[in-house]
Amino acid sequence: MDPFSSPSPASSSTPSNEQIMDQLKNQIAQAYAEEFLETVRTKCFARCVTKPGTSLSGSEGSCVSRCVERYIEATQIISRAIFNAPR
Amino acid sequence: MDSPSMSSDLQSFLEQEKQKAMMNELVGKLTDVCWDKCITSAPGSKFSSSETACLTNCAQRFLDMSAIIIRRFQSMH
Repeated sequence: MDPFSSPSPASSSTPSNEQIMDQLKNQIAQAYAEEFLETVRTKCFARCVTKPGTSLSGSEGSCVSRCVERYIEATQIISRAIFNAPR
Repeated sequence: MDSPSMSSDLQSFLEQEKQKAMMNELVGKLTDVCWDKCITSAPGSKFSSSETACLTNCAQRFLDMSAIIIRRFQSMH
């Protein structure tokens, strides 16, 4: 999708600031989500699928769900540690 | 952009988003590094208190270390 396409392409005027800001926010959020997904995928594969077999086992699957939850929690802990800890 | 200068609205918005992105990047990087250092066994359903403490210490010590390195570089010229 054209990142800067205006919702009403008929109007030839440049997009408003609000439109640009919204688009930008969406794109930043999407980029962040993609990067986070990629990181979690790498980390949890390394931690949970140590010897890849012919299929993903049940225990590997549950390890992955725990891993995803823990990685999100770790992100929150780190964020708290650097932003609102008395240092 | 056909306008020669961006509106100050947009400029402060961009500055704000840049700051946020830098903070997010820092948190992401620290989580990456500290996860590898502190979470050594298969992730459980809850972090142990030592894992939580390790993550917190790891993040804060990384910042302390950064400060030392920056000072060291600043004293080079």
